[in-house]
Amino acid sequence: MKSVGKTLCIVFLKLIATVCCLFVVTFAAYFFNLDMKLTAKMEPILFHFYDKVKRDQHL
Amino acid sequence: MKNPEKRIGADHLGSLYTDGRVRRRREWRGVPDTLYDYSRWLHNWVTIFRVVLSKPRNIKALFRYRWMANYLAVPMMVDRHTQGLRGEHLRICHVEQDLIIEDVAKLLDKLFRGDRRIDNDKDFSDKVVLVDENEMQSLMMGFPTLVPLSREIASTYIPVLLNQRAALHYIDIAQEYGLAGDVCPMPEAEAGVSIDDDAPVLGKCAVQCNTTCDGSLMGNSVIFKRLELEDGIPIFQLATPLRHQEPDVQEYAAQEIRNAIAFIEEHTGEKWDWTHYFECAKRVNYATKCRMEWLDMNKTQYPQVFGSNLALYTETNYMAISGRVAAFQDADRKITALAERAYQKKKMASNEYRHRAIVWGVQSHYYMDFLVWLLNCWGIVPLTDMLSMVSTKMIADTDTPENREQAIYDIAWLTENMIMRNRTHGGYKVLLDELWEIVEEFNADMVILWEHMSCKALDGMHGLFEERAREKGIHLVWVSHDLFDPRVISRQGVRDQINSYMRTVMQEEPVDPSLEELNDAESW
Repeated sequence: MKSVGKTLCIVFLKLIATVCCLFVVTFAAYFFNLDMKLTAKMEPILFHFYDKVKRDQHL
Repeated sequence: MKNPEKRIGADHLGSLYTDGRVRRRREWRGVPDTLYDYSRWLHNWVTIFRVVLSKPRNIKALFRYRWMANYLAVPMMVDRHTQGLRGEHLRICHVEQDLIIEDVAKLLDKLFRGDRRIDNDKDFSDKVVLVDENEMQSLMMGFPTLVPLSREIASTYIPVLLNQRAALHYIDIAQEYGLAGDVCPMPEAEAGVSIDDDAPVLGKCAVQCNTTCDGSLMGNSVIFKRLELEDGIPIFQLATPLRHQEPDVQEYAAQEIRNAIAFIEEHTGEKWDWTHYFECAKRVNYATKCRMEWLDMNKTQYPQVFGSNLALYTETNYMAISGRVAAFQDADRKITALAERAYQKKKMASNEYRHRAIVWGVQSHYYMDFLVWLLNCWGIVPLTDMLSMVSTKMIADTDTPENREQAIYDIAWLTENMIMRNRTHGGYKVLLDELWEIVEEFNADMVILWEHMSCKALDGMHGLFEERAREKGIHLVWVSHDLFDPRVISRQGVRDQINSYMRTVMQEEPVDPSLEELNDAESW
């Protein structure tokens, strides 16, 4: 019984630690606007693809 | 009137700007509001992944359609509209934005599901009726099994809200092919998307509406040529009367609606469902009731749902939703509850209220968050705007034989009173006279008058507006812009027109001087 309790406690602590780590990482991304800084870097890459798409351009 | 509450982090909002695409960091709004804003940011990313990015068809579309790149800026659009907001006002904005984001994400997913180039789900495509961007979707209230989709909302309307330069490529393409450069850049960009072969191709049939101007008719004819004559999707031309205040046009308007319904029934094989129509009509009336309550609050010293919180949501709910999505009724309820709570506590949305303004004319689409800037920089409260002053008429919402006949007239009335058309057409009473009635009702001391330089319908009234403002002793500030094209007048060019009026005529200093000059020409 003691070892089951101990395992549950470890799992619970690990869960808490994971949630805390996830919060810290996502909150840092949110606060320092890292998501938008990353997507801004993606914009020119996407333009490269759009320029290569074959189009039937006409009026 | 100064805000008695200390608003953490709302003093120097200009310091968040950079010279590049995005902001330096997000706002610190105090612990509860920052954590709330963070939770909505996380929620919106989950929505984007769940509805859009988790499906291979949408990834394929991301690399196919140029306008899709603008959707990278969705979280930044939310930041722009929540700037400086705290407490209930922040929550109102998020209730609206979260729902709009989810609705648009679903729109994209549906477009690519039926798109012949992407997922090519033929069965789904056969349920789709394409509608114009500037069209009241009340026409679809009796077709629960059909899916009304607007390609233009996805490819031009929303992208410019996200990224100020989103439409430039398409405007240039349209002009390269010889289309006039002096028409409204919105339909011109829509035509450019069609010319550039950048519009999804799907649907059993389509309805185009004669919206409001020469540009719109030009754009529709270009789109029609490709969609009907080349892609084989039949289009109904819904020619709604522009003189919508005249009783003698109403029978014709109703007949146009009957014809449009018959056209959709004929092409899709679906039948108009009165039970569903009246369910939607009840939601339309509820939305109208809520909007009227918000406007009543805005007539007092403590306005609660105003600025872009009012404008963006009204545009979406009134025109694109038209009672068809139950979630918007829940949002109406939540917004009203938040607004009432804030009103009882006499909450203010910025550090200081100095002027009460009515914003009139067609707003700059590439600078929709200008209303937030007005409030934060100069303490000018945009109580309401022209595009939010739409029909407040209650429509028939119980199923009786008489109401079935009345319903056709109601749909016609709503279509005639589509956002923008209800003011830019219909005679000088709805555009000019009613402005001054609204100024009086809202106890406003200022009118911010957008001058969309390509909009001939409004430009012709310039002198009449000035004459009336002088008569009534109201401060009238003209703000020129070119709707979709910031190359003509930049965002700072828009701000400068207010800055110089406030400094020279009003002899005032800004509430937040850090917002007066911003180098956001490269910003999304």
